[in-house]
Amino acid sequence: MMPRDPDTQGVQSDADDDFELSGSPPSYAAHRSQSRPLIHSARNAWQTRPGGSYNPVSRSLEDTKSPRWIEMIRSVVSAPRFRRYVLICLSLFLVGWVSWRMLLYPRLQERSSLLHSLDPSTKTEAGGWFGSNVMPQFDDIVQIRKLDPELVPTSSAGVEAESSSRKRLIFVGDVHGCKAELEALLDKVSFKPNSGDHLIFTGDLINKGPDSTGVVDLARGYSASCVRGNHEDRILLIRKELVKTNTLATSDDYEESHLSSGEARERALARSLSDEQAVWLSNCPVILDIGSVPGMGPVVVVHAGLVPGVELEKQDPSSVMTMRTMDLDTHVPSPKKKGMNWAKLFDKHQSVIYSTLESSTEDPLSGTMTVVYGHDASSSLSIRPYTKGLDSGCLKGGKLTALVVEDGGKQNIVQVKCKNRLKD
Amino acid sequence: MWVLVAERADFADSIHGYTGLVKRIVFRNEYDGSRQLPLNTKPLWLRGGLRKAGFVVTATENAIPSYRLLALWSTPSSTCLRGEYKSKKEIPTEKYFHESSFHYHYDGRFANETLPESEVIPHLSALVQTYFSTMNAIGAETWIMHGTLLAWWWNQKIFPWDNDLDVQISEPTIHFLADYYNMTEHHFDLPNVDGGRAYMLEINPNYVVKSEQDTMNKIDARWIDMSSGLFIDITAVRKDESKRLNGHPEALSCKDKHHYEESDIFPLRDSTFEGIPVKIPYAYTWLLEEEYGPKALTRTTFSGHTFNDETKIWESAK
Repeated sequence: MMPRDPDTQGVQSDADDDFELSGSPPSYAAHRSQSRPLIHSARNAWQTRPGGSYNPVSRSLEDTKSPRWIEMIRSVVSAPRFRRYVLICLSLFLVGWVSWRMLLYPRLQERSSLLHSLDPSTKTEAGGWFGSNVMPQFDDIVQIRKLDPELVPTSSAGVEAESSSRKRLIFVGDVHGCKAELEALLDKVSFKPNSGDHLIFTGDLINKGPDSTGVVDLARGYSASCVRGNHEDRILLIRKELVKTNTLATSDDYEESHLSSGEARERALARSLSDEQAVWLSNCPVILDIGSVPGMGPVVVVHAGLVPGVELEKQDPSSVMTMRTMDLDTHVPSPKKKGMNWAKLFDKHQSVIYSTLESSTEDPLSGTMTVVYGHDASSSLSIRPYTKGLDSGCLKGGKLTALVVEDGGKQNIVQVKCKNRLKD
Repeated sequence: MWVLVAERADFADSIHGYTGLVKRIVFRNEYDGSRQLPLNTKPLWLRGGLRKAGFVVTATENAIPSYRLLALWSTPSSTCLRGEYKSKKEIPTEKYFHESSFHYHYDGRFANETLPESEVIPHLSALVQTYFSTMNAIGAETWIMHGTLLAWWWNQKIFPWDNDLDVQISEPTIHFLADYYNMTEHHFDLPNVDGGRAYMLEINPNYVVKSEQDTMNKIDARWIDMSSGLFIDITAVRKDESKRLNGHPEALSCKDKHHYEESDIFPLRDSTFEGIPVKIPYAYTWLLEEEYGPKALTRTTFSGHTFNDETKIWESAK
């Protein structure tokens, strides 16, 4: 026989014997009474264990005092329902905390910082807001132009029946010479230049992409409207210098060897523009005033952005063509990407104006201003009540976006996919 | 055969009572008489007149004598253009341009004292006008920068508390000016100024090395009002070769340790300052914001002056 474990095997075999002897079904009590007392299998090995620092007094105190409440807690905790509740509570708390931390709190923070930024007391604290200087004049830049009111959609949507008087404004984001995509987009919105559709570009029609001059010709062909983007601005300034120095037709070797690749590319584009194309582009104003559009109120188009609270005539042209963010204390715009998006501040400013006008005026929308813009491909399509950012990064393989405004004020976003032109 | 000759111009400073001769040395072609300024040469200030024998005259630094001669040119040891000094020993230990002992915005060679306060702005205004009209005439690419650009931004006028002006020039321009226009005097008949004023373009010969280690010679050139000693500091903006090699293809730098992106400065814009056409760097608002912070573009009180919102003039708070 194999040596048996005295605690289990031994007991088991005794019971088996017992069963055979009595011939009756074994009860637990019988089993216990007739088996070897368990005490015999107890060993005092713990007393002799080396290094054992056993403190019988304190341990026994705890043991005798707490078992009841510990047991109670243990039983409550081990109850499946309790566990479920705890789990639910914990996850609810976690969800609440995360959404507070990640969503609500930042939003409230942003809202209060926007409101604080627009508060007149901030102006006093900061010592003034952007726009108190004498706006520099540049004779080759048109600051503002007004769109022919004839082109603006009317408030009555009912005229749809007689399509001859139908009017649509089609605002198109930064094209950057992507002519094929522009044509696809015009197809998609079923652009009909002769039956009330008017095209408006938010600037940066040219540069970087495959067919800048083609895009300009297309826009000219449709008598489209446009605003001056930072790329038009650069190319036109370069071209003017080339004309002035009599080097428009030829490029000298010195130039070739000394220019950085970016500047050389811009010069090449400036040279490739015909006089007519350059004149058309230089007639694009920094700010295009669309006038009042049904459902939107007054609308303006700029390339990059506007500083809230500054008259259109006094908007700094360089900033209007390049801004992305805005300093909250001074409202100084900046082309850098890090910081408060100018459009958030502008949109908040307009909604504050709207809510103050709401009680006093019949048509509070007429006191606001909506900006359609491009430029900021990094924040992609960005539609707010009073700011419509249409640059969705067509050049780098994103989308080309159109905002279509119809009679009655119905607005639609239409997009086409673009090929990535920066890859090669 | 080129010969070295001294060109002579009678010089009389009626305001400060100085009389003398201003000379410059040029190479003259013996055959056709054409002239050329020696390249990369340094003028020495001389006392006691020009000695004909080899032009060897002792040069002194604090030369505000009855004779102020602009005479001898010494060619720097190396005329090749370099980005960096080969050893620390080569770094100049002396300043080329000296400011006067009485005020750091005056050239001591041309004045003993500062102008009366009311005279400063008219002199600066004439300084910037004559500078830009000269540069426009000779086709040198230059634009306003730093405090002058900020003043332009506010109301296209010099700040009433200013006593200096800053302009920049491009790398080809500094070479062009050094090669053909160093130490040239330009006389202007100015309205309300009897006899007009003479201005001098002086190039710092250390311009040939673009190293920022040369902290004594951050200013590459000066346009100096010879009647008052006031001047415009001219710094050249150069390609920053080391940065360009490290993935910044548009990096530009000056010896005064300002760094720029090519696309922030070029293409230049046309505007006006003090009523005359000037060039402005492309991203003027952004450059000002970076250099001076956003408050510089919005604060309407500065240096004891307040910007009047109606007249758009900086008015003294007194």
